[in-house]
Order: sequence, then C-alpha cells, then structure tokens
Amino acid sequence: MRISVGQKLALGAASTVMALAFSNLTQAETPSWCGPKKASIALLDGYGGNSWRQVTTASGKQEALKCPSITSYEYADGQGDTQKSISDIKAMAAKGIDALVVFPDAGQAMLPAITSVYKSGKVIVPYRVSAGGKAGVNYTQFVGDDFKTDGRNWGEWIKSILPKGGNLLFLSGPAGNSQGLDELEGLKSVLGPEYKFINPEPFDVTNWDPALTQKVLTAEIAKNDKIDVIVSDFGPSLVGALPLFEKSGRSIPALATSDGNSLGCFWTDHQKNNPDFKLFTVSTENDNARLAVQWAVAEATGGKPPEETTFKGPVFENSVTGKPNPVKCRADLPGQIYLSAELSAEEQTKAINTK
Amino acid sequence: MKSTDETRWSRPLSRQGFHVPLAREFVTVVLSTIALVVICRLVAPSSVTYGSLAGSLPFAAIIAIVGLGQLLVVQQGGFDLSLAGGVSLAVVISTHYPQGDNALLLPAVVLAIACAILAGLANGILVSFFRLNAIVATIGVNALLYGGVFAVSGGVPKTTTTLLAAIAGGQALGLPNTVYFALATLLVVSFILKKTVAGRRFEAIGANPLAARAVGLRVRLHQLLAYVYAQLLYCMAGVLLAGVTREPTAFQGDSLLLPSVAVVVLGGTSLLGGRGFPISTVIAAFFLNQLSQFALAVGVPYSAQTIIQALALGFGIGVYSVRWTVNVVRQPRQLEGR
Repeated sequence: MRISVGQKLALGAASTVMALAFSNLTQAETPSWCGPKKASIALLDGYGGNSWRQVTTASGKQEALKCPSITSYEYADGQGDTQKSISDIKAMAAKGIDALVVFPDAGQAMLPAITSVYKSGKVIVPYRVSAGGKAGVNYTQFVGDDFKTDGRNWGEWIKSILPKGGNLLFLSGPAGNSQGLDELEGLKSVLGPEYKFINPEPFDVTNWDPALTQKVLTAEIAKNDKIDVIVSDFGPSLVGALPLFEKSGRSIPALATSDGNSLGCFWTDHQKNNPDFKLFTVSTENDNARLAVQWAVAEATGGKPPEETTFKGPVFENSVTGKPNPVKCRADLPGQIYLSAELSAEEQTKAINTK
Repeated sequence: MKSTDETRWSRPLSRQGFHVPLAREFVTVVLSTIALVVICRLVAPSSVTYGSLAGSLPFAAIIAIVGLGQLLVVQQGGFDLSLAGGVSLAVVISTHYPQGDNALLLPAVVLAIACAILAGLANGILVSFFRLNAIVATIGVNALLYGGVFAVSGGVPKTTTTLLAAIAGGQALGLPNTVYFALATLLVVSFILKKTVAGRRFEAIGANPLAARAVGLRVRLHQLLAYVYAQLLYCMAGVLLAGVTREPTAFQGDSLLLPSVAVVVLGGTSLLGGRGFPISTVIAAFFLNQLSQFALAVGVPYSAQTIIQALALGFGIGVYSVRWTVNVVRQPRQLEGR
C-alpha cells in the first residue's frame, strides 16, 4: 500500500493527537494516590442507617472507582451492632479483600479486630472515629477530622458579625461526646470572655435528635431573652425547632452550624421575616471518606499516599459575605442531602433513595 | 389491690361515675402537678411561660396519647413494648410515603392505620390466644415493626409534608393542635371506658379475668382488642410526632416507651391490671413533660438534669405508698383494702 507524504503527515498528526488525548485521559483518570498494583477494597460502616452515612458511603465508592487498579468494591453495614461490625471486618479480610476502610463507630471495641486484620498483612484505614491504637502498629493509617477547626471557623465568623461580644448558645449531641468538646475548644480559642455561653457547661445535650433539640431550644428560648448566636454541630436538626422563635414573637438569631439542604432552604424561606437570621455553615464532611479511601488505595496499589492524615472540613456557606458560597437551597431535591459534598446533588438523591 | 377493685364493681354505676374525680390517684397526680408548677414558678419561672409551654405542650400531648394506649394494655395486665416500633413506623410511613406531596398524606395515614391494626392484632393474638407472655410477644412484634421501619425508610429521615406540619405543628386559640388531639383522645377513651357497657366489661376483665370469664364475658377478645386500640393510639401519636418535628428520625418512638409506662404508673393504674385512670394519665403526661422542661430550665449540667428527673419521678410514684387519711374518712370501707 502506498501512502503519500500528505497522508503520512495526516496520519502522524492524528496518532500524535490521539496519543496526547489518551495520555491526558489516563492522567485525569489516574490520581497520584492510585498505583499500578491491582487491589480490591471494602468500606465497612459501623452504622449505615442515615442519609449522612449513605451520602458518605456513595462518596467513598466514587473515590475508590477513580482508580482503575481497583478490581472490586464491597460494602458492609454493621447496623449499629458491635458484634456484627467486628465479624464484617473479619469476613472481608477472610474473603481476600486487600484494603479495608472502616468507620469504627464502637471506638476502642473495634481495635482488636482492626489490629488482627492489619497484622495479617492487609491495608486497613479507620476513619473519623478513633479506635485508639497507633498507625503502623494497629492499622495502616487513621484518617481523622478536625472539629477544632470547625469551632475556630465558627468563632471567627461570630467575631465578624458580633465584634462586641454577646450571648451564645451551643448545642451538640450526646453528653460528653468528643466532637462537641473539640468544637468548644476551637470556639474558645478564638472567642474572648465577652462572648458568654448561656448553655450549661459544656453544651446543651440534644443527642442530635430533632425532638429533643426542640425541647431543649424551647427551654432556652423561654429562659434567655437575648440569644445572639446559636452554634450547633448538626444544623438540619434545628430546622424543626427554629420556628419557636417566630412563635414567641422574636427573630431567629444568627446560626453557626454545619450544612444541609433542608437548612439552606429553611434559611431561604425565613430570612425575610427574621432580620437577625444570618447563616454560616461548615461542610458536613461527607468527603472525609474520600481521604480515607485515598489512603487505603495508595497503600494497597503502591500509589503515593496523600499528604494529609486529617480531613479539615471547609467553610461552606456564609449568608453575610456570600463567600465562599451564598446559602444554597435545592428545593426540588430532598432535604437530607448535603450540597457541600463533592458527590453531585442528583447522585446523593439516588444514594439516599436506594433503600 | 384486686379486692378493692372488686368492691368497686359492686357499687352502682352512677355512684361510681360521681366518685371518679375524687379518686385518690386523681387527687395525688393533680396535687403533684400543682406542686411542680409552683416549684417551677419559684425556681425556674421561664419553664412556665407561655412560650415555653407552647413549645413543650405538643410533646406532653404525644406522651399523653401513647400513655393512654399503654394504659389500655396495662389495664389488661399486659405490657406493650412494641410502642417504639409502632410509633416509629407511623412516623416513617407518614413522611416517606408522601415524599413531601400533600395529596398523598391521607393515603399514607390510612396505610399507617392499617399497619397499626395488623400489629395490634399480632400482639393481641399472641398474648390472648397463644398465651404468650406480653413482654416477650410485644418485643417480637416490635422487632417486626422495626423491620417495617427499615423497609420503608432504610433508616433515613424524610422531611414532613407541609400539610402535616401545619396540622400537627399549628395552633388554634393559642393552644397547640396536638393538645386538642390529646384531649379528644382522652374524652373518647374515658367515655368508652367509664360510660359504655363494653368499657365496663373491659375494666372488669382487667380486674379479674377469671371472674369475668365465669360470668360469661369474652375475655380473650377484650384482651386482644386492648393491643389493637393501643397500636391505633401509637399510630396517631406517630403521625402527630412526624408533624411536630420537621425532620423526624426513623427511631423517634424509642424515647417514648419509658415515658408511656411512667405516666400510666404515675396516673395510679396498677401494673397488675384493672381499673384505669385516663384523666390522671394525661395529667401525669403533663407532669412528666413539665419535669423535663424544669430540669432544662434550671440550667444544670445534663447529669444533674437526669438525676432531678429520676428523683421527682421516684417521688411521684412513692406518693402512692403514703396512706391518705382524707380519702379514708370520705370512703372508709372502700379504701381499707388498699
């Protein structure tokens, strides 16, 4: 077959373009944490029964599948049962899964199972809840998050809207939970004594239950004529309780919290009639799972592990400055999705509607 | 206990109806509640302001409704632990099925009622026909109901429809709508229990099933129906709760089980069965709710709040062990048995 010079050139150009395009494609598809070694991965949840967990799980899966070396992805839900969570871990290891990402809800109780899997040569990355132990001894790496940063971010915002100080009400989950205590430490590292916490030390206990939150807030509203800012680490649980201010003829105060679609929409609907209702949110941190998956995949496939071992939840919405984002509301989608997550709103909707 | 109940049956119905408001149980719970309100006024005045009451009464109303359901079962000497599952199932059906669409709310409520009837029948048949221990049977049914909760919701909360939020969360004449629901339930339960033949038989069977059987009453049927009525009331409480909390969790019923038993006991109904005190039960629900608002309003740490509640509850129940001379004078013969 004879090929003219022009045809040769065209062919050459075309193959170069194709090669370039292909290399670009592979580059975009293969992040640095993804190595060449084939591996299987499993995500093990201690408790998978709420929308936050479902969005987080879907995020972890999406992250793992970015790496072409991952041959299979498995998921197990411990259903809040420590025994089941332990046997899930052991079963996944026995099945020959190479890398395990674990949400150890039961804390220290999970350490023996995690350690035994690590000792048998698997990659295991607990995240978000500490199980105790040490990286390199009991597990490959722990990927925590940084609630003190959340506290500091809230504190800085409170200072910006209330420079002269004021009354703060801080609500968190179950009594003595470490997340709430860390957040308080972050808050106090930024705020001086002119900011008065009017809740009982260290925070008002809500168990993150919307009904209890409503009761607690009822009592606090009646007791305190002046509440300048409410700080809460689970914004969406406040949605049912905030109208209590309107019922007692007061404006909803400023709110420093974590994001959620229902909260964003609530703000959008109520900000006109409530002049003091300013909203500031940090990310609800569904993407914490992504960092943990990156670590697990990197260690299992021979990729380059991420530099960070702690997920720092970014600031998400600020109704005052609109930076980094104005308050977001997708009224057409369920209230239980988190627009701060990397996973698209539509995919989140799919994730929470699967069951 | 039982001997007193039996002497009561011997009295004419009209006299009995006349004396109900003077029952020791009623006086006790009313006095305890008044005492609590006075203490609230003195120690934590914010807990008895209009705003505080408007915010907390819906929860008192819901406790009252589940309490009335539990009361009917306790009257038959039973115990219903499937309350948590029943309430949670009603919550998730009334939020998940409509998916925010008001038009689907009515079918959702009908579906929730159908499930409640089925659950009540399951409990009732297990307890009254198969003679299973009530605690064992209702724990089993509770597990089934939670299976239903997961099947419907996957454990995920959904936002309430605007219509339900307006009905359950709204106010009329300055009172939360839930309070009217609770009062209506109280009226119906009291009227049927105290003024209808079926109701009188129901109480008689609870007081002494063997005697009731001997006189030809349909003991098993009434015992079975107690569980069905109870589930219907749990269902109602669940639907209201879904409206009161905008984004209820799928396990909202869990925290109601203990209060439901507490208000029945505080209301003066014997756990051995027999005579029931619906009005006292509803007042006890207010008492219990006000107690937790008081503990919150005092502003003490969470641990102390829990202790205050436990102590006051212990006191409330302990009051029944004190002999009441006032009533003994009023009704010397009837109360000696106690």
